[in-house]
Amino acid sequence: MTAPARLKASRARRPLQRLVQTLVGPAAFDFWASKLHPAWSWSRPLAKIVARHSESRDSVTLLLQPNRHWQGFRAGQHLNISAEIDGIRVTRSYSLSDTPRPDGRIAITVKAIEGGKLSRYLCTTARVGDVLDLGPAFGEMALPATPGGSLLFLAAGSGITPLMALIRNLAGQGMPVSLTLLYWARSREEVCFADELRRLAAQHRGFQVRFVLTRANAVADDECQGRIGAEQLSALVPDAVQRQVYACGPGGFVDTVRTLLAAQVPQFQAEAFTPPPRLIEESGTVQVTLAASGQTLSVPRGQSLLTALEAAGLQPASGCRMGICNTCACGKRSGTTRNLHTDVVQHEPVSALRLCVSSAASDLVLDL
Amino acid sequence: MTAKPANRPLSPEQLGHFAAELDALRARTAATLGQRDADYIRAIVAAVRYTGLAGRTLLFVGAIGGAFLPLLLWPACIAGTLLLALSKILENMELGHNVMHGQYDWMRDPHLDGKTYEWDIAGTGDNWRKTHNYQHHTWTNVRGMDDDVGYGLLRLFPEQRWKPFYLLQPAIAVIFAILFEWGVAIQDLRLGRWFAGKVNNATMREQFRPVGRKMAHQVVKDYVLFPLLAGPFFLPVLLGNIVANVLRNLWTYTIIFCGHFTADAETFAKASVAGESRGQWYLRQLRGSSNLAGGRLLNLLSGNLSHQIEHHFYPDLPANRYAAMAVEVREICSRYGQHYNTGSLPRQFGQVIWRILRHAFPSRPAEPLSAAASVASPLTGAQSSSA
Repeated sequence: MTAPARLKASRARRPLQRLVQTLVGPAAFDFWASKLHPAWSWSRPLAKIVARHSESRDSVTLLLQPNRHWQGFRAGQHLNISAEIDGIRVTRSYSLSDTPRPDGRIAITVKAIEGGKLSRYLCTTARVGDVLDLGPAFGEMALPATPGGSLLFLAAGSGITPLMALIRNLAGQGMPVSLTLLYWARSREEVCFADELRRLAAQHRGFQVRFVLTRANAVADDECQGRIGAEQLSALVPDAVQRQVYACGPGGFVDTVRTLLAAQVPQFQAEAFTPPPRLIEESGTVQVTLAASGQTLSVPRGQSLLTALEAAGLQPASGCRMGICNTCACGKRSGTTRNLHTDVVQHEPVSALRLCVSSAASDLVLDL
Repeated sequence: MTAKPANRPLSPEQLGHFAAELDALRARTAATLGQRDADYIRAIVAAVRYTGLAGRTLLFVGAIGGAFLPLLLWPACIAGTLLLALSKILENMELGHNVMHGQYDWMRDPHLDGKTYEWDIAGTGDNWRKTHNYQHHTWTNVRGMDDDVGYGLLRLFPEQRWKPFYLLQPAIAVIFAILFEWGVAIQDLRLGRWFAGKVNNATMREQFRPVGRKMAHQVVKDYVLFPLLAGPFFLPVLLGNIVANVLRNLWTYTIIFCGHFTADAETFAKASVAGESRGQWYLRQLRGSSNLAGGRLLNLLSGNLSHQIEHHFYPDLPANRYAAMAVEVREICSRYGQHYNTGSLPRQFGQVIWRILRHAFPSRPAEPLSAAASVASPLTGAQSSSA
């Protein structure tokens, strides 16, 4: 459909939408729509799992069919995925591991993390036909509009996923660049996409791949061993400093890469993922970012967030100040809080954090 | 009426233990929230949807089918109206009221989000969250702070100053019951202040805008669009919707009035809540609230406000847990010598009607039962009332 035609169609739909909205409302619409098709919704992006296959010993690729509310993505981006586990919606970010496809389906590759709620659920419990909630795609890592020159991709563990999307994108364009991928994994069994990467390397002269194993011996020609370091890097990619570098992996890995290369290379893009902190400090201050108003302030740990925000000159909505009326509740996007009544520590993003009875235990991002 | 039950005076230390036991019960319950509670509230959502669909369908069948087969008209319309009323009662009480308290926020389901849920009633969810969740639940039965004490319309306690206007209250109470959702809708506008010239027209217009929008939405939905779907046979549908809304109004009014206006329910002076401890807060909630002893059907249809005491202790915990918690709450209250106000629906509502009738006429608070009880009362300055 052309853009004007789509606009016309959406204008024609509008009175009907208003009628439906008045008669049943979005919540009731979703209830009945889900009886007809599990991923139909009035306004929420949902996706049905249409296929799943094992990608390595502990990783699974899920192919998802999103509904019409999904806005699309760029290779290299990630998205929030939510699933309900024991009655509670759990949300985590995953990279989209494929490029945008003509059939609109999207793929995520998930590594089962020890103790990881959603990753274990997606890897072991989730079945074809199940429905997941999607957030909009986000993330800055992207290829230039017209890629060229020489590139170096550095991936560690599940950091391969966004880089895989970029590699597939480049391969789809006939590999217009000279690209080397160094991919660290603990063992051969944990390497994802090995066959496809080898096939692409054989097809495209400009693409080279090296699998770097940290807890296993290298056997194949394209395998080597050891943790990342200056010597290893210059041995494997002598012209590393002349390349545009893309790195993705755990925080420590990305920090090392940044120290080694960021200042010297023509272009450096990196994404780090870090598991939530498990050690909770009791004293000192944390940074609280208020996402809606774009402010960042420093507040003491252990104090009620409501009191702390008010002390900083803010006036968040509040009521009973004892945790019952829910007036001060606001969304928490990330960070760890402690309930002052129960001492229960919450690492998860939540939709309603009661500021009056919660204290910050780590840096926080709040929907204020 | 029965004599006021004596509550054992508690020392600050005993009150601390009382609060700690009630807090521990909260923590024990909160720690076990999970799939079972999610399944419960989703079953309620489904019941609301299916009874609503069945009710509206039967109304259409009665209206349209009844035009051709008169035998259908009354049975289908009556059954449709009752099912629609049942759907609205479940939606308002067990679903809307409880979800808007944030009881199911831990599920993080956007359709069950306490801050954004909008219910099927003339009043806005936002006004309710303010007048009910905050004002009523924080300042329960505190005169001058909890608007629900008579809703600025009725005199239910002798501590409220008598005016000749209250002689009309037996009639006003009935009209209020029939139009209850509209009363809830305008409660936060505090029109009395506007009539008295304390609020200017511009401010009132501003505050009325969301209220008017919600009222219009409800009127257009129930009294225009759904009847119009029946075309020329709109009248039975329109009447069915009106009756369903009124039945819901009468039921919610009955349940809510039983929660705080029974004979033993007490009100409190503003001064009594200054510097209130957690134990004193629990005690005030207990003395201001009354339960309904019925069974599972009454629990369901009252949105578990049959456990008004548990609801006031734990307004943010899922209501489907109140029945189980009530066993422990009652045991704790009896160990601390505190009266646990419960009774059948006819008994409790009979006491409410008595209050409405009795306090239409001038009345005075009873003298404190004994000097000792009043001095040792942890709710210093609290004036308990009895009918």
